[in-house]
Amino acid sequence: MGQLILIATQNLLQHKRRNLLLGIAIALVTAMLITLLGLSAGIETTMLRSATTLSSGHINVAGFYKVTSGSAAPLVTGHKELERLVRENTPHLDYTISRMRGWGKVISDTTSFQAGINGVDIDTERGLKNVLRLAPQKDYKPGGTEEIRGNLDNLREPNTVMLFVEQAKRLEVDVGDQLTISAPTPRGVSNTLSVSVVAIAKDVGFMSGWGIFVPNQTVRDIYQLTEDTTGAIMVYLDDIAKLEEVENHLRQLVAKAGHRLMEKDSNPFWMKFERVGNEDWIGQKIDITNWEDEISFMSWTIQSFDALTGILVMILMILVAVGIMNTLWIAIRERTREIGTMRAIGAQKGMISKMFLLEAAVLGFASTAIGALAAVLIAYSINTSGVVIPSEAFQLFTMSETLHVLVRPQTVVFSVGLLTMFTTLSALYPAYRAAKLKPITAIHHVG
Amino acid sequence: MNAIVTLNEVVKEYRLGSVVVPAVRGVTLAIDTGEFLSIAGPSGSGKTTLLNLIGCVDTATRGTVTVDGQNTATLSERALTDLRLHKLGFIFQSFNLIGVLNVFQNVEFPLLLLGNVSKVERTRRVEKIIEQVGLSEHIRHRPNELSGGQRQRVAIARALVTNPRIVLADEPTANLDSVTGDKIIQLMKHMNDNQDTTFIFSTHDPKVTRYADRVIRLKDGQIDDENGVPAKPLAVSA
Ligand SMILES: Nc1ncnc2c1ncn2[C@@H]1O[C@H](COP(=O)(O)OP(=O)(O)OP(=O)(O)O)[C@@H](O)[C@H]1O
Ligand SMILES: [Mg+2]
Repeated sequence: MGQLILIATQNLLQHKRRNLLLGIAIALVTAMLITLLGLSAGIETTMLRSATTLSSGHINVAGFYKVTSGSAAPLVTGHKELERLVRENTPHLDYTISRMRGWGKVISDTTSFQAGINGVDIDTERGLKNVLRLAPQKDYKPGGTEEIRGNLDNLREPNTVMLFVEQAKRLEVDVGDQLTISAPTPRGVSNTLSVSVVAIAKDVGFMSGWGIFVPNQTVRDIYQLTEDTTGAIMVYLDDIAKLEEVENHLRQLVAKAGHRLMEKDSNPFWMKFERVGNEDWIGQKIDITNWEDEISFMSWTIQSFDALTGILVMILMILVAVGIMNTLWIAIRERTREIGTMRAIGAQKGMISKMFLLEAAVLGFASTAIGALAAVLIAYSINTSGVVIPSEAFQLFTMSETLHVLVRPQTVVFSVGLLTMFTTLSALYPAYRAAKLKPITAIHHVG
Repeated sequence: MNAIVTLNEVVKEYRLGSVVVPAVRGVTLAIDTGEFLSIAGPSGSGKTTLLNLIGCVDTATRGTVTVDGQNTATLSERALTDLRLHKLGFIFQSFNLIGVLNVFQNVEFPLLLLGNVSKVERTRRVEKIIEQVGLSEHIRHRPNELSGGQRQRVAIARALVTNPRIVLADEPTANLDSVTGDKIIQLMKHMNDNQDTTFIFSTHDPKVTRYADRVIRLKDGQIDDENGVPAKPLAVSA
């Protein structure tokens, strides 16, 4: 075996130019695969961060309350009891928060738009406070200053609102200005409420444009709900790898406590109104979802990105396979006499095929390793230099304004392994043909 | 006598498109263990073809070839390869060394194929045989850094290093100066005397023929009894 690797390596080095070209091609494909997978992983972590900051816990204990069978409100009644149950019985729990959920129109002096209304108890919002950064005035106001105005903690006060930069720009408001929130109620009338802007935060992915943040009590005021009502209990874990296990645990826990549970439906809550509204029941039902469910309408981005990566890499790999087979055909032709000699001396067929497979494997491994190294360097330089994505359409895809490439060690191992294996497999047929050469014809071969 | 190789009515035809080229035309021959046999004959008379048949790298069109008691036509590809590895040593007319390996590695190669020779033992045997063919100074050189005669000697060392029962040598001295050629022949003769190794070589070289126990003369693929040393009585009856 050692001798075979030596022969394989030496033969590769004998034909530096053609093997170098092939090696570069394999390295490029590897680098591309790892970079694209890294980009996909980067987008996914950005998504996770955005989603779990803005609209979801790792797991949500939420649900619908139906006064009549034809209506559906995204509410959990008696939530304090339920939240205590969850808090005391959830393994791997980091913390829980409780958020009201609403939908309405945000109106300034100049314009208005529809937005989700997120209710928060700012003192309990550890994640929000950690992730959100307040924006300097110049970010949202033409001719603004570097001054950061406002304070998240002011959301403690009733009738206040926190906006994101993009929203503040559109509404042309600053911290201290008044806005009107108008929300339709089940009784068919719209309730309005005046709120003052207390903070303007930097955008967190493009999803931050979809909702505003107000105190929980403000949402209750708009919809005239009691203190013991919330929209969702959001559960954050200290180990997100345990998500599925904990989610199942919670379903059992909540059902056992006597609550009616909705069937698992991997969609965000706002896509469920129509279905729930058409169901024939009244009262309270609990719906348990995770963060991926709540942004499942966005998962096509990652899925299509991964699919594109797959197709692209596959096409390139087919080209590489053709290259490898072609190179090996040449090598076998050049070394026909040598193959015959080895066979005549007493080398079995298997050894000949092993020799050529090893040649491909050595080339494959060396090239993919170099490609992987290149990918890590590319990822590092992209991440540190903060490459800005120029097109908004593409920002929608990547969920952020800058490229973030997350290269995980297992991705590197996977890619190097996969492409080395593929390279080696491409050599199977040529290697088989080489082994089948008759020693006598091989010895007679001229050239 | 106990024959280690027998050929009975062996015919070898090559097919070139629709033309059939007879290379060996009905050779019957028995070679004893420990014989030092020379096959002589003009170019194209079938010497190489005959050696290839005995060496199990080629199969006869008709007739039977027995090597070490086994009819080679009945052996599987794998068994033939094993036979070549364990019983035969081959010295090709055109050396056929492995280009990317140096002298030491080329000679070591068949020992690696045997699989059960320790590294220390391999090194000892390889270095010894390389010294015997006079290439110690070139032990780390690659074939393309050697002269034709030197390559020939590497090929000889490679064939002898496993101490095979039978050594087949196709014009082993053709590329050697007469002094080296003599030395090589003496080395072979020495192995022949001490280890009872059977040597079968084709040659034009009268110096080599002098050492031979027996000379078979080929002409147009047949044994030419009239001009050659009369063949020994055949051990094959059927
Ligand atoms: N692979 C082949 N295909 C067709 N004809 C062949 C082949 N090998 C040998 N021959 C023919 O068979 C005959 C015997 O060839 P062989 O090589 O055995 O002769 P030789 O005695 O070894 O000659 P030389 O002294 O030149 O080496 C020749 O006529 C040759 O042309
Ligand atoms: Mg010949």
